[in-house]
Amino acid sequence: MDSNFPSEKLEEICDDECQNKTRIFCQRCPSLVLSPKQAKLVKKEFFLPNMFQKNDHTPIEGVTLNDFWLVTNMMTFDNVGFSKAVDNIMYLICADCEMGPIGWHSIDDKKAYYIAVARVKHG
Amino acid sequence: MAKTYDYLFKLLLIGDSAVGKTCILFRFSEDAFNSTFISTIGIDFKIRTIELDEKKIKLQIWDTAGQERFRTITTAYYRGAMGIMLVYDITNEKSFDNIRTWIRNIEEHASKDVEKMMLGNKCDLQDRRQVSKDRGEQLAIEHGIKFMETSAKASINVEEAFFTLARDIKAKMDRKIDSTGPSKSAGYQLSGKDGSSSKKSFWKSCTLL
Ligand SMILES: Nc1nc2c(ncn2[C@@H]2O[C@H](COP(=O)(O)OP(=O)(O)OP(=O)(O)O)[C@@H](O)[C@H]2O)c(=O)[nH]1
Ligand SMILES: [Mg+2]
Ligand SMILES: [Zn+2]
Repeated sequence: MDSNFPSEKLEEICDDECQNKTRIFCQRCPSLVLSPKQAKLVKKEFFLPNMFQKNDHTPIEGVTLNDFWLVTNMMTFDNVGFSKAVDNIMYLICADCEMGPIGWHSIDDKKAYYIAVARVKHG
Repeated sequence: MAKTYDYLFKLLLIGDSAVGKTCILFRFSEDAFNSTFISTIGIDFKIRTIELDEKKIKLQIWDTAGQERFRTITTAYYRGAMGIMLVYDITNEKSFDNIRTWIRNIEEHASKDVEKMMLGNKCDLQDRRQVSKDRGEQLAIEHGIKFMETSAKASINVEEAFFTLARDIKAKMDRKIDSTGPSKSAGYQLSGKDGSSSKKSFWKSCTLL
């Protein structure tokens, strides 16, 4: 599922303060990315390359996503991997199976790490 | 937001080119997902959370490049490193000989009390072995550091190695705190407030859902 998140579903995953109610996992493996109440739901438009593109003969395809979990300190993550920076953006991946990008971080803003709501599992 | 961990350790993997540092940290490619996009740009570091003695420990693990032309960049990574994995390839004599050079390099550039550990990687390749386990052990004893043979490919001892290094850093830090009393200078131990603890095992292979 690589689309934007239906808004009624958002209520199920965030509490009154817009923090994540549940734990956040990789979609592909049991790796824990974030513990409850560690991130804040924000609206932000950002283009992320597709996770399932395995063919390197075509240009990078992706989607613009709108719903992200915002984390203000990178050490808040339980498990996560950071890609090398491309145009000042580091892409976040699962630390275990390396599925990604599941989010992004701009090296110009040390206090913002974004996980795409549509690219992780809640529960 | 409350701190969710008790300790934070920055770890580095160093050693000659092609000994398998990237594979040790980033999983052997066969069962990794490797989307085209991510494998093209490469991975910089990972954050891992482990539990030791009921304490939550965050590991920030950095890979470095072994090639000579990157050496000066590599030394920049030494700053703030609390643990270093020195890796050689048991099928490559030269990479073992160079461990001494890497140790000298560490002594020159890293913090004095950095915790070191030596790994003889690719122990799945027994028929191509050039460095006996004995020689590895001897060299480790000589430098007073721990030693393990690992295989990133067969997932042998990789998880154990990181736990061992983390445990040794923690023990060293706890001793320091005991002898000086809790103080700012005792560094990275943070009073932890634990939200929910994960019993997820470290470096376990992924199951496809
Ligand atoms: N058989 C076997 N091959 C391995 C193992 N670990 C790594 N390799 C292989 O060794 C080669 C080099 O591994 P890398 O992880 O890229 O080596 P590196 O230390 O990161 O090298 P640099 O980035 O150049 O410093 C690759 O072809 C791996 O597939 C292992 O445990 N067993
Ligand atoms: Mg490498
Ligand atoms: Zn995963």
